[in-house]
Amino acid sequence: MTRSRAALALALAGALALTACGANEPPPGASQAQATRGGTLRILLDGQTVNYDPAKSSSLAITSLGLVHRRLTAWHNKPGEPAKVVPDLADVGKTDDGGKTWTFTLQEGLKFSDGTPITAADVKWGVERSFAPAFSGGLGYHKQLIEGGADYRGPFEGAELAGIQTPDDRTIKFTLVRPYGDWPWVVSTPAFAPVPKGKGQEADYSEHPVASGPYQLVEYRKGVEARLTRNPNWSTDVDKVRAGLPDEVVFQLGQDASVISQRLVADSGDDKFAFGASFVSPAQLAQLAGNTSARQRLVTSKSGALAYLAFNTGKAPLDNPKVREAFQYAVDKTSYQIASAGNAELAGDIATTLITEGIAGREKFDLYPTQPAGDPEKAKKLLAEAGFPDGLPELDFVVSKSNNYPDKAQSVQASLARAGIRTTIRTLDSDAYTTETTGDTATFDLTLSSWQPDFPSANANIQPLFASSEIGGGGYNLSRYRNAEVDRLIGEAQATVDPVEAGRKWAELDKRILEDSPVVPLIYTRNSFLRGSKVANLFIADFPAYPNYLQVGVTP
Amino acid sequence: MRTAKFIGVRLAGALLVLFIVGFCTYAVFYLVPADPALASCGRPCTEQNLALARDFMGFGDPWWRQFLDFVGGIATGRTFGAGATAITCEAPCFGYSFQQNTEVLDLIGERLPVTFSLAAGAALLWLVTGVGAGVVAALRRGTPLDRIALAVSVAGVSAPVYLVGLLGILLFGFTLDVVPVGGYVDFATSPVDWAWRLALPWAVLAFAHAAVYTRLTRSQMLDTLDEDYIRTARAKGLTETKVVGKHALRNVLLPVVTVFGVDLGSLLGGAVITERVFGLPGLGGLLIDAVNQRDLPLLLGCTLFAAFLIVTANVLVDLCYGALDPRARLS
Repeated sequence: MTRSRAALALALAGALALTACGANEPPPGASQAQATRGGTLRILLDGQTVNYDPAKSSSLAITSLGLVHRRLTAWHNKPGEPAKVVPDLADVGKTDDGGKTWTFTLQEGLKFSDGTPITAADVKWGVERSFAPAFSGGLGYHKQLIEGGADYRGPFEGAELAGIQTPDDRTIKFTLVRPYGDWPWVVSTPAFAPVPKGKGQEADYSEHPVASGPYQLVEYRKGVEARLTRNPNWSTDVDKVRAGLPDEVVFQLGQDASVISQRLVADSGDDKFAFGASFVSPAQLAQLAGNTSARQRLVTSKSGALAYLAFNTGKAPLDNPKVREAFQYAVDKTSYQIASAGNAELAGDIATTLITEGIAGREKFDLYPTQPAGDPEKAKKLLAEAGFPDGLPELDFVVSKSNNYPDKAQSVQASLARAGIRTTIRTLDSDAYTTETTGDTATFDLTLSSWQPDFPSANANIQPLFASSEIGGGGYNLSRYRNAEVDRLIGEAQATVDPVEAGRKWAELDKRILEDSPVVPLIYTRNSFLRGSKVANLFIADFPAYPNYLQVGVTP
Repeated sequence: MRTAKFIGVRLAGALLVLFIVGFCTYAVFYLVPADPALASCGRPCTEQNLALARDFMGFGDPWWRQFLDFVGGIATGRTFGAGATAITCEAPCFGYSFQQNTEVLDLIGERLPVTFSLAAGAALLWLVTGVGAGVVAALRRGTPLDRIALAVSVAGVSAPVYLVGLLGILLFGFTLDVVPVGGYVDFATSPVDWAWRLALPWAVLAFAHAAVYTRLTRSQMLDTLDEDYIRTARAKGLTETKVVGKHALRNVLLPVVTVFGVDLGSLLGGAVITERVFGLPGLGGLLIDAVNQRDLPLLLGCTLFAAFLIVTANVLVDLCYGALDPRARLS
């Protein structure tokens, strides 16, 4: 307790200093010089591995994997503009039957790093390959959607996936099991990167993939580094979403997060040309406060993943929506901000919606308006109305030990206590936590989590967390929220092809779900990253809260 | 003959210990609610995908069955999956890491030189400084020199390696800029660079470990110097160097060797924190990764390997006793 208080005080002190000098700061990235072509960019990772096998990757379209592999479509990713789907290898797709079949046309003149042309058959092979049990583990939004996918086990035994046709080298046609308006987004996920037909059956394909992007992987030393050099068969003439500025990109693996931070602060030697791929932690942010040079090299996102308090809606007393509504007023979101990053500025804005900023169609609303610190009296009144005038029985509040969650849980615990809601915090290792919250049986009452969509559509904000199909079995519907009407509306919104119309439906769903209070939205979590002084054009768009690796360059 | 029997019994015991460690690791993983197949399920994870991943990796069977498969694989090798994408892990197969796409034994083999370099250098350093400081402290008992040696050793024992490592990097790496802040260079590539990059990790590890040796040596030495035979040696007119260096130190080294064997053995299994701080791609990093990624085969492999090293170190220590102490010899 004393220790966490001291840490909090330290973080607060740092945060105050940060905001104090933050008033006249130029906008993030403004102090960066213009990137030029050439040089070696270094990316410092605390993980020991980086996986370049598209089938096994869950990398965002704008990070590591995107340097080596292109997909059918890409993301428009600029600060201040909502994300939208844009052409990559192919156009953004056409459907003439309301979203059940989709046709994409590949650009002309595309080549792999080995010089062979990229054809529709290679894209098909790549998608088929992702169905092989040997290569599972990547993003699999397509697996339940493509016709024949449910029983398909990959192309290596000669079977083809019924739902993909390639009438010619440049045309690829998908037949889905149901209309799906976000299909152009789904084909921006890693599995839609081409793999030369017939290749990639070896387990270590990730260490020598055939590249379609600006870089090829020339050396992969496990736990040490991955070295990318230019793909001679790539050019900006055929790729509008990747700048391909540095001559080389080196991923340094297995670096301690604190040391990464220290190295980038020191900004000497090769580290001038480096940026850290992991978030700068609250403690490190506090350390940066007094260092003007490092402060200028800190890039913080405008918004980010939705942090939320989830209720186990399948268990009394939280199966009662009225009880859950009381929590909307009981929680002090400002103290959550302080617990997560020291202050509101660094933690992120208070959340009142499920759909996150930067997603097209998002509407801002607040169903439970109150001051940011909450209204414990109103919560008490609601609990009394719900039949609990003397408060609730003690609740089991389970959180993961990782990512500072125990501290955050304490802040929520304290704010709930103001409304007479008593909780016992139970911390679990991340493995055990995942099994407890995503498994088939759940005994907890409350938990804290956060969600960042895998692609920039409100669908990816809402469906994984609130569709009843995602309860248990590894699914992320932690609140075990089950509402037939919402399931039907999700189905309808997913089937809507027109983005404006779909956006409107998702925004309605956002409100509809929050009326039932399966979660309390807390904040849109900001992420901060640190770069060396010679790294240029490192920016973070409104969505996702990660730098766009595809545009980063270095200055001499 | 008796020696051969002694060694035989010790080896059989060692194998039994390893078997039990392997068994327990499997049992623990079965008892804790964690599914190693979840890491290979992907997102969104469906029941069907999870079942497929589980079957492919061999995690679908009951845990005792998995354990028997594992033991069998050491003798005969294993095959995961079927058809064109099947993965063969040749005998002796100590498991296959599906996250790193490599046999566990190969992964350990790749990382071992780094950890060995780190552990051997640090061990040499702490043995020399620790025992040396202990001897000096004992001989100069009660003097400021003794107190300083004790104070430094208390600091070494108490300070977390993580903190010492970071402070070391800050001071010597960034502020003074005399050593590189991390990374590893093969001995074969450049012995000078190899030593230069390891200098700071060696010093940090040695600082943490030497303390135990200083205190152990000091107290042993004080006890030994009170023994009758030391008085006899002095009475015979031997020089102090001979009394301490030849007669006393030999007895002092017995417990030191015991501790050293186990320390070195466990360090070779991976100096987790030191490797992490200095970005050294050793076994410790491998172990962390295995834990973080729910890589059960790799975790089991690393655990067994660490156990193997400790058991081996113990056997070697037993053998060393004979050399150091004639009373411990069997014939």
